[in-house]
Amino acid sequence: MNHVEPKPLPEVKLPPLKQVGKPLRRVDALGKAVGATVYAADFTMPRMLHAKVFRSDRPHARIVQLGVSKARALTGVACVLTGEDVRGAKLTTDMPGQTGRAARAGSDAPVLALEAVRYVGEPIALVAAETVALAEEALGRIEIEYENLPAVFDPEEAMVPGAPILFEPDNVVSRYTIRKGDLEAGMAEADLVVENSFRTPFVEHAYLEPDAGVAWVDEQGVINIRVATQVVEHFRSVARALGVPENRIRVRGTMVGGGFGSKEDVTVEIFLAFLARETGRPVKLVYTREEAFLATSKRHPFTITHRTGVKRDGRITASRIEMVADSGAYPYLTPYVLLYATGMATGPYRIDNVHVDSVAAATNQTFTSAFRGFGGPQAALGYEQQMDEIAKALDMDPLEFRRANYMKTGDTTCTGQAVTSAVWSEECATRALHALGDRTPSTGTKRIGRGLASTFQSYGRITWFHDTSRAWVGVEQDGTVVVRCGVPDIGAGQSNSLCQIAAEILGVPLDRVTIYATDSAVTPLAGTSTATRQLYMSGNAVSSAASAVRTRLVRRAAEAMGVREEDVDLANSRAFVSKEPDRFIELAELAKRCAAEGIELSELAQFNAPFTDGLDPETGQGDIWPDFTFGAVAVEVAVDIETGGIELLKCAACHDVGRAINSAAVRGQIAGGTAQGLGYALMEEFALEDGRVVTPSFAEYLIPTSADYPAADVIVLESGTGIGPFGAKGIGEPALTPAAPAVANAFADALGVRIHELPLTPERVIEAVDEARGKGLL
Amino acid sequence: MEARPVTLRVNGRTHDVALAPNTTLLEALRDLGYTDVKSGCEKGDCGACAVLLDGVAVNSCLVLAWQAEGAEIVTNSGLGTIEKPHPIQEAFADTGAIQCGFCTSGMIVATKALLDGNPDPTEDEIREALSGNLCRCTGYGQIVEAVRVAAELLRRSSSSPASSLAEATSASEDGREHDHEDRVLGSGDGAEAGDDT
Amino acid sequence: MTLPTFDLLQPKTLDEALKLLSETPEAVPIAGGTCLLVDLRERSTSADVLLDLSRIEELRRIETVGDELVIGATVTISEILGDPSVAEHAGVLRRACEMFAAPLIRNRATIGGNLAHASPAADTAPPLLLLDTMVEIQADGRKRVTPLHRFFAGPCETHLRPAHLVTAVRIPISKGTPRWTYEKIRLRKADAISVVSAAALAVPSKAGPPEIRIALGAVAPTPVRAWDAEEVLKGRKLTSEAIAVAAKVAAEEARPIDDLRGSAGYRRREVEVLVRRCLSGLMGTSGGEADGG
Repeated sequence: MNHVEPKPLPEVKLPPLKQVGKPLRRVDALGKAVGATVYAADFTMPRMLHAKVFRSDRPHARIVQLGVSKARALTGVACVLTGEDVRGAKLTTDMPGQTGRAARAGSDAPVLALEAVRYVGEPIALVAAETVALAEEALGRIEIEYENLPAVFDPEEAMVPGAPILFEPDNVVSRYTIRKGDLEAGMAEADLVVENSFRTPFVEHAYLEPDAGVAWVDEQGVINIRVATQVVEHFRSVARALGVPENRIRVRGTMVGGGFGSKEDVTVEIFLAFLARETGRPVKLVYTREEAFLATSKRHPFTITHRTGVKRDGRITASRIEMVADSGAYPYLTPYVLLYATGMATGPYRIDNVHVDSVAAATNQTFTSAFRGFGGPQAALGYEQQMDEIAKALDMDPLEFRRANYMKTGDTTCTGQAVTSAVWSEECATRALHALGDRTPSTGTKRIGRGLASTFQSYGRITWFHDTSRAWVGVEQDGTVVVRCGVPDIGAGQSNSLCQIAAEILGVPLDRVTIYATDSAVTPLAGTSTATRQLYMSGNAVSSAASAVRTRLVRRAAEAMGVREEDVDLANSRAFVSKEPDRFIELAELAKRCAAEGIELSELAQFNAPFTDGLDPETGQGDIWPDFTFGAVAVEVAVDIETGGIELLKCAACHDVGRAINSAAVRGQIAGGTAQGLGYALMEEFALEDGRVVTPSFAEYLIPTSADYPAADVIVLESGTGIGPFGAKGIGEPALTPAAPAVANAFADALGVRIHELPLTPERVIEAVDEARGKGLL
Repeated sequence: MEARPVTLRVNGRTHDVALAPNTTLLEALRDLGYTDVKSGCEKGDCGACAVLLDGVAVNSCLVLAWQAEGAEIVTNSGLGTIEKPHPIQEAFADTGAIQCGFCTSGMIVATKALLDGNPDPTEDEIREALSGNLCRCTGYGQIVEAVRVAAELLRRSSSSPASSLAEATSASEDGREHDHEDRVLGSGDGAEAGDDT
Repeated sequence: MTLPTFDLLQPKTLDEALKLLSETPEAVPIAGGTCLLVDLRERSTSADVLLDLSRIEELRRIETVGDELVIGATVTISEILGDPSVAEHAGVLRRACEMFAAPLIRNRATIGGNLAHASPAADTAPPLLLLDTMVEIQADGRKRVTPLHRFFAGPCETHLRPAHLVTAVRIPISKGTPRWTYEKIRLRKADAISVVSAAALAVPSKAGPPEIRIALGAVAPTPVRAWDAEEVLKGRKLTSEAIAVAAKVAAEEARPIDDLRGSAGYRRREVEVLVRRCLSGLMGTSGGEADGG
């Protein structure tokens, strides 16, 4: 894989755009730069109380007795709520923000544990007090008697008959079966069968902003919740839990200081709503960092076994894959994470004969749910490591082996879904490898290795969820533009992209576009900021709304200037004759005329994703997602065979994003996602021992610092074939997926032996070094 | 021990406030309305709470408010405003160095401390200086670029003030900011921000 | 999470501090607070009274007094990094300070605090042990010095008596510039507690080969000198064979434990590796450092 030439790109003619594609200063950038942007924990209100959560310190126990009278008696404590006080209130943990009629996975957790606790950190009681210190003191006065119950900490053990049951009847939370083609025939056809298993750990999102919110009851009796969330639609979950109508809960989402999937779950909302209602006063709840570690979701650990049949010429003939995932103590989004991993189990490769059997089981550990990639990164750790192992067994170059198997547009995934957009896997892989330059020579105790990972990752939600989004775009009398959209901005530039699209279509400079967002009461609901769907869904909605307004403006301008509509363009806040730009009307003037004449200057548009019916229950065949993004990461590492230290020397990431709306934001997403993937491979493990978290803060759970890795070389390709606005695909999750397997492959290249689990700690490396020595490889 | 009146000098303004001895500078600053100083971990692991204490960048979660009495404290919001941003803030805004923005204030404070002492840092020096400020969104590449751009802007402005973007800030030799009332955000009335975008 | 309540005494002079300490011997000294405040917040330690040393100018000095480099207890790690006499006479200490935590912590953490907290992984300790550092301790009306290697008692325990304060470290200035090396294994490149650290010093002697000193961090209940390994090298020239033996002996005399950052077995193995690298580095041609970082 040295001296790789980038595969030439097919001829793509992307229409030139004036603002979309440029690295314009984002609409949210300056406020954040000067510290003016307000986050959830920055809000204060008169007479505000401070809340704290009393949590389980046992992994599995019956609550024999809970005594809160001493806590309630403490001066300055306004209220203490227990499971008794919220009896029956359930936390709906699946289908966040979903309006489709698809059957729910049927998972709920109690808002506050009443009879038993199932993981260390499970919430048991809520306190609201005049100060944080008093609330903490009140927690210390809560008395609890537990009866320990047998616990289980491994999903495979959880499925053995006789294991303690957390999820009736057998701890199995979810299961999928994929049967494509004829596995037996495919295996019989193979010249070689290669089998390997890989394990991935729990991972923590490690967003910088601890979960937080403030709630109050307003003058109409509506419960308002300011909260850092990825899902404004949780107002429905809150309403259900409190037993009030849905139109009596208002979620005002704030700028989120990082979510990555953790803030997709309901976190503080229901607690705050109960306390605000009970006390009649504003209540604030800010998680400590330790709580964010202990009591919010994690990435699912997976054990993935690949058994692959292949011909000597490199063609894969059959693939059998088994997956076991750890659901933690409550299901949350496990059924869907498992589905993603299953549906992407074979990677961006054309394989006609595939069996996948996947299962997720409950354990007495922190619950697992959404985390950037949502099963896709785990699947990639399976298929990309297996691809390198097969290449090795065939004595083939890893890139050549992939070339023999890459999908093309029109080929199908293991669920039989045809990919309809461009598949630029090879274009991406060759560019990433090329960017590594000349191979660094191994010297002394440092062994150099290079690794590649080619991956794909869906964007847009599961299509049988019938996903929709909506946005409102309007032009003010002075020619400025307003966008109203429920979109939560979690830092990737979700709200800026919508502004930049409206700016492009209406010909208004970006700094004359303002977005009002993330308010369930007053902004059109846009669905979740998850599943790499916002640019696709809300971007299309904004595009549609802005285009409708544009049409009316152009028509009126053409009339005013005595030209045809197709001769008029909008730019720089003017409507002008394209071929004679000196003939123009100021947009402000045009807007005033339209308003006076009753021509509507705003539009509310809805965008619907493709609606499908779901997979065949026996074969797992069918379409799951709207589309996929293809990309690759290549890395070069130096392994110190004496200390076990791995140094990342070079890293290159290349993705086909369809069309970049803001090129700086796209590059930032790729760089950031890559960094998260590097941390996943090299240093991050959320560790539990007998259900107790032993990595409870940033001191124990290490994420990359600025000193750890050189800047990734980011290469952006634009095929224009995405189904988002202007041909955009999604990049949020795809950016992370290839990085960890690339590192794992580079390590195996350096040493000649592979470590089958993550992270690649110095100790695991030393064990591998001993193994390599034993095999005469060192 | 009871709270006692403490005088804190923040961004050129003087605050007299009663504080108990176990109040951290982070808590005191945020209660005074300086919500640009973020709480990320409360134990010095993440750098989100970084402020300048007599020109030295520190984790305010690990300074007791009483210990900060008598010092000149500078937070990110004291360096510039939306109307008159500091060149470092502008550089961050323009290079894609800001995604979720939660690490940004601490990162900019650490950058200010770096450039005050080392106006032309190498990439390694930049990465080392920021190694106590965690970022989970950007992968640091664009942040390093922002620091380089900021260094360039500051060098240009110190050599030819008329042509620079940085007209608002005049840093004295020891890195302290002079009192510019109009650069400091509104008084400590806890951010009622209305509909934030 | 809020800190527990405590009284905070803020003396302006050392005399005042020592007097207060004699009146309130249970008062816990605080300067940078980078360990103490974390421990207090987590309730892994408690204190009703804190004695803030950060206003005491006398404790904040670095000076050469006779043939000693004296570093006041509340000198910060950053100040140590910036001081030219440290660079000249205690280069190995400077190197350890470069890799100490992260810049924001270095700006507050103090050398006195690092030693008094006495973590087995305390970064300033192995270099100071190499340099035969003396710890200056004072109480109201009393002042004495003790060798650093007799100061540590166990993990996060020292022999400091009640109402006594570490006021300075005193580093003997040697004639000539002894060569030194420093190696550290940690799980990321900044802000990470040492898994294993090792340092070595070659002190020129009047006749014969230099005296070799070796210190280890994070592999025993306290930071230690590798006395047995040093014994092996006494009077011997530094050759690859001698180094191999010494490194092996150092690994044997280490007493590492299993913890989150590493197993005892891994640590013991890496003592051998790091000591070998440190000693090999001493064989280099020019003075100063030859470390791997």
